[in-house]
Amino acid sequence: MSTTLASSPNSTVATQPQANYRRHVLDLDDFSRDEIGEILETTASMKEVLNRPIKQVPALRGKTVVNMFFEDSTRTRISFELAARALSANVVTMSARGSSVEKGESLLDTMRTLQALGADIIVMRHRESGAPYLVAQHFLGSVLNAGDGRHAHPTQALLDLFTIQERLGRIEGLKVVIVGDIVHSRVARSNLWGLTTMGAHVTLCAPTTLLGPAAFWTATWPKVTITTDLDECVRDADVIMTLRLQKERQESGLLPSLREYSRFFGVNAARVACAAPHCLVMHPGPMNEGVEITPDVATSAQSVIETQVTNGVAVRMALLYRLAEH
Amino acid sequence: MRYLIKNGSIIDPARRVATVGNVLIENGKVSRVMDLADLSTAQEPLGKDLEVINARGAVIAPGFIDLHTHLREPGEEHKETIATGTAAAARGGFTTVCAMPNTRPPHDRVAVVRQVLETARAEGSVRVEPIGAITLGRAGKNLTEMAELVEAGCIAFSDDGSPVSDPAVMRNALAYAAMLGVPIMSHCEDLTLSRGWAMHEGAISTRLGLPGYPAAAEEVQIARDIALAEMTGAHIHICHVSTAGGVALVRAAKERGVRVTAEATPHHLTLTDRWVLGSLGEPVAPREPPAPPTRGKRKRKHEPELGLPAWLVPTRLPPYDTSTRVSPPLRSDEDVDALIEGLRDGTIDAIATDHAPHSHVDKECEYGLAAPGISGLETALGLVLTLVHRGEMDLVNLIAKLTEGPASVISRTPATLRPGSNADIVVFDPDYSWVVDRQKFVSKGLNTPVHGQRLKGQVMLTMTRGKIAFRRGNFGVSTGMLQQLSKLPGILNDEGES
Repeated sequence: MSTTLASSPNSTVATQPQANYRRHVLDLDDFSRDEIGEILETTASMKEVLNRPIKQVPALRGKTVVNMFFEDSTRTRISFELAARALSANVVTMSARGSSVEKGESLLDTMRTLQALGADIIVMRHRESGAPYLVAQHFLGSVLNAGDGRHAHPTQALLDLFTIQERLGRIEGLKVVIVGDIVHSRVARSNLWGLTTMGAHVTLCAPTTLLGPAAFWTATWPKVTITTDLDECVRDADVIMTLRLQKERQESGLLPSLREYSRFFGVNAARVACAAPHCLVMHPGPMNEGVEITPDVATSAQSVIETQVTNGVAVRMALLYRLAEH
Repeated sequence: MRYLIKNGSIIDPARRVATVGNVLIENGKVSRVMDLADLSTAQEPLGKDLEVINARGAVIAPGFIDLHTHLREPGEEHKETIATGTAAAARGGFTTVCAMPNTRPPHDRVAVVRQVLETARAEGSVRVEPIGAITLGRAGKNLTEMAELVEAGCIAFSDDGSPVSDPAVMRNALAYAAMLGVPIMSHCEDLTLSRGWAMHEGAISTRLGLPGYPAAAEEVQIARDIALAEMTGAHIHICHVSTAGGVALVRAAKERGVRVTAEATPHHLTLTDRWVLGSLGEPVAPREPPAPPTRGKRKRKHEPELGLPAWLVPTRLPPYDTSTRVSPPLRSDEDVDALIEGLRDGTIDAIATDHAPHSHVDKECEYGLAAPGISGLETALGLVLTLVHRGEMDLVNLIAKLTEGPASVISRTPATLRPGSNADIVVFDPDYSWVVDRQKFVSKGLNTPVHGQRLKGQVMLTMTRGKIAFRRGNFGVSTGMLQQLSKLPGILNDEGES
């Protein structure tokens, strides 16, 4: 695989999308509506595979997938491992805490080592925004971004899109509220690309310290609505997507208290009741129950949080399959 | 050796002179400046030891002075040395560079400053003026022995890169420097507001998910330092102003009569935060320079036009390219416009490169972890001339910002072609079209975001104290002489046009 990719005209340019040809998945900003639609269709097939008695197909037999995780993440890592195994790939996971600089070996040295060991696809999680772009410029195989800093988490956004489509039958025209720690959230950014490309109306809701000026968002996503009033914006919402609030945000002075945050920005039953009756409640996990979401809402019939986790494996299979096809 | 630089456009802002003529250099000094009127009457100097340099079509100006250079020696010789840094300066048309003190050890004691000056004398291509550290170890606490450092040759004080956070320390530093008659050069950054920064805070940092360095982090510190300078009567020099708010603060302070001067860098005057977005950005229509007026029949030497889109195209870089990471960060379009306006109206006194060379290892890493800095000496002129080519600045005023302006900040080196002054001279061709190739840099720092970009304007010859410090190819050699020389093998060593 690496030899054919090395000779491809795209081998040094990481980000240029080409028709029917994609070497890397770094963010959803360069995905067309049709391409996302295709991925969601492939995901449905993969989900069917996962429901078989023998949950494995030979699509990636003989390929080596390396999970390169520079940040702790049990859920995403396991999801990717299961996805690669279900496609019969050889999977190894490399966990390295801390930045590559602290470790003494540079990110590119690590990548070159994995390349020399025969990696075909690198699945990469890193705490620095943009790190997968650096690797993609030099790696001869494919890079699949499993989350970089605050920047992007494309597989999360695709699994959210798949879940919405599966439950509500469409994405276009839906009102989606994303509430929580927007400014630090890669999930929010990738979902902004994915949802707006698919024609949803997106509202971002957060306290100003976790949001920043509205113009900073509308410059890139002109149709997005920005608000600090959760009660107002959940009205008639089709989807409420709540984000994890890290406790450090309070410690670093961005919030007066978690109690106040929970009161004004937490998703609770009263707020869900104002939304459309079919409204889905989503969360990328892991949850801080009682902070950004109340336990009764998290386990209610409208919550699709567990479905999201299940669909995550199918979406990641679909992406690995597409990358390995080339 | 005597030199006669002939038929150039002489631009000497300090004497308000702009004319076509000749400059005669003897004994390391400018001995005569002859304009066209002179030429008709005066006899041309002759002699065996006289080399005639033909500067037709080029500009002859006083050598440029850089107020803000990181030479890295002692301590970080893998990034730059005094020899390579001053060679890069000569290539960029600079005849004096002010060396920032953040070396290892820093310029916080006389022994280090003496060593820098001695190395510069022995190995340097251009004059080096050391800037002393404000505080010991640049730690922001105890003042250095500033009087002794001035005695040793320091022309100003700065803790560049590690701004003095404690206002009481800054007050004392300003008061003490005022006694010594030297400026404090302040890198204005409130470290609490900029904590964790990777780039300018705005729409692009929001899109890229990179932690922001808000404009206000610079502005609050400029406001503080101006207030302290006003109180102490000291001369404060604001380094690398990058924000519209900073320009406004300096302008208002100057109007009140505060002794404040300011500099801006070539990259902050010409590039924006869009460069961090690189190829993820919308393709921008290149801002083409107006076609140069066709002068005479002589064919100018240009690099062939390769059909590339010209004129500073940010989308040619990949996204998150670490060559764009610099402190302060590349700012917004509005900030760039305000800086240019400040340069025009005199709010900004000088263009300074903030030449910050870094090694490959410091830059080939994750964006937020990359060392901030741009290697700027060799592209400075080409970048700032874009302002002239776009009609945003006139050439005489621009040269003033590279010569008279910085000289007045350090009130030390005369920057003029007045007869009798040191022959620190630059000859440059403002229309010379070239493509930046960092592999051809003589600086060890190859960290530039404008690699591969086409620029117009290039230094042809740099002379310090009457000696040629840099000459591009065979610039100025008369054709007859060239033919004779070319018969001797190995004499003509054309180093190529960078």
